[in-house]
Amino acid sequence: MESFFIRYRNLVVLLVILVVQIAGLAVQVRRTAGGSSTLYANDPSEVRLIRLWVSSIISPPERMIHAAKLGVVGMWTNYLDLLSVRRQNQDLERTIGRMRLEQAALLEDAREGQRLQALLGFQQKYIYTTVAAQAYGSSGSDRSHVFYIDKGANDGLKPDMAVITADGIVGKVRDVFPHSAQVLAVNDPTSGAGVILETTRIRGILKGDASGRLEVVGVASDQRIKPGENVLTAGGDMIFPRGLPVGVVEKVLRDPDRDGLVDILLTPAAHLNRLDEVLVIASTEPRFPPDQQRDLAASDTLQSAVSPAIRDQVKASEIMAEKLPGLIDPNLPPDQQPLHDSSNPNPATPPQQPLHPDEFSPGAAAPAGSAPRAESTQKPRPKNPSAAPAATGSGVPAQPAANSAPQVTPRRNPE
Amino acid sequence: MPLLGADSRRDMEIHRYPLLVYALVPLASLVLQAWLPRVTSPYDWFDLPLVVTVYFALGRRNPIQGTIMGAVMGLCEDALTHHAIGINGIAKTLVGFLAASVGIRIEVENQVIRLLLNFLLSLLASAVYLFVSRFLLGLALEWSWLTELLRAVGNSLIALVLFPALDRLQTRD
Repeated sequence: MESFFIRYRNLVVLLVILVVQIAGLAVQVRRTAGGSSTLYANDPSEVRLIRLWVSSIISPPERMIHAAKLGVVGMWTNYLDLLSVRRQNQDLERTIGRMRLEQAALLEDAREGQRLQALLGFQQKYIYTTVAAQAYGSSGSDRSHVFYIDKGANDGLKPDMAVITADGIVGKVRDVFPHSAQVLAVNDPTSGAGVILETTRIRGILKGDASGRLEVVGVASDQRIKPGENVLTAGGDMIFPRGLPVGVVEKVLRDPDRDGLVDILLTPAAHLNRLDEVLVIASTEPRFPPDQQRDLAASDTLQSAVSPAIRDQVKASEIMAEKLPGLIDPNLPPDQQPLHDSSNPNPATPPQQPLHPDEFSPGAAAPAGSAPRAESTQKPRPKNPSAAPAATGSGVPAQPAANSAPQVTPRRNPE
Repeated sequence: MPLLGADSRRDMEIHRYPLLVYALVPLASLVLQAWLPRVTSPYDWFDLPLVVTVYFALGRRNPIQGTIMGAVMGLCEDALTHHAIGINGIAKTLVGFLAASVGIRIEVENQVIRLLLNFLLSLLASAVYLFVSRFLLGLALEWSWLTELLRAVGNSLIALVLFPALDRLQTRD
């Protein structure tokens, strides 16, 4: 017996090591109700310990390499930045001034929205505290789209916190170690997030494919989905706040497995392959964080100083609107209107009058929009002059509602 | 391909290295494997721990050492991902064992043979990974053989440069 082990010791060692690893794999996999296999959402403690050990060994040299790279790149870019810093500074100051005005204008809308939400018992959550972190390493495998950040449990990070950049969402914290954390990127096949198309309001589930591309799966085929449409987080997954940029529709493909459904390929908003600085959303609250509140107060002050000037501008625009020719002439039939498109062979026709019209028949009652329309002829701008700059605003800053800012349609002079 | 007696080759040409090389080279391969994809992505078709495993297994010509080294490297790679720990471990265990077993039998100083061995063992590691994930564990795994082929080519090219460089670290009697 002893000679058998000595003679075949190579094979015996190989078999023992293989069997131990297979047994180790068995405790990490479970059967789902559907009969398929999947990994446990949370690693067993022994597995987590191995990850912690390996991370503790690999992370320090990896961070050193990354810091050295940042140092070299930083020296060069700092020099380049110095060359144009004065002009950039002037541009930024102008931008900040303009954005403060826009912010103040949108603030009223945001407050009104909050009041309405409070009435409805719904609380919009704003990103309240974030932890800035540096991404320094990856899994080293293209089959696993995870990366490591230099903040961990000691910095208040917990699993399932959202990770974002200024450009858009990046992933969620998967595993937390004392001084580092593993982040599962949104382009991993095992990740998932609820998303919504910005204009068509179609919802879907975001995941990655084998090659690391972003796609929205399980979407009912719809002609309105076009390349170039923005995709935002829907907020229903309890990880990402609502309204954060996800990407832009690149291509719509038919789902090969399910009829009537399409997969939407996205161009990610964040540069998932070149991440350096990321923000981990540590908490969300139904109020603005202190920094933003200070910004808003500053914007309010600025707005009160500038509002007489804005009022003058509004007055001037009202006078101009009265003098300019109208795009719709109420005295002319539809086919003689200035904007009538004679090339259209199927113009929209008004609905036929019913045989016995009542108050609900189209055209029977006074048009709902007639009185306000007449009023709006006299007052084409809102009474509150602070609403005027809202037309140029892009949203409430640094919170998800930014993307749900009201769409401003072009005005037409009814005369 | 010159075939040699197993005992004579193992006794005569076992490569020996300073202890520091045994510790630092595998560690460096793991660190670079984790860091380089941040620079090279999406063209990260290489597996440095596998190349290093093959190198030491071929040079040492000891299947037990090759097996253990492959297992450790594979488990470390697995630990850095979010997948189950052991899939790469099993793949690289087999690669280490086979590379050492082949190293006993054939002349491995030749660059062409090293290139070919790296290519074949890379493909074998991919096949074992696929087998364990999909068939042994029943996990859903999207797979592209083209990527695996590119990875095998990448590993071979890296071996072409890395093996002569590591040969210089040998201790000569």
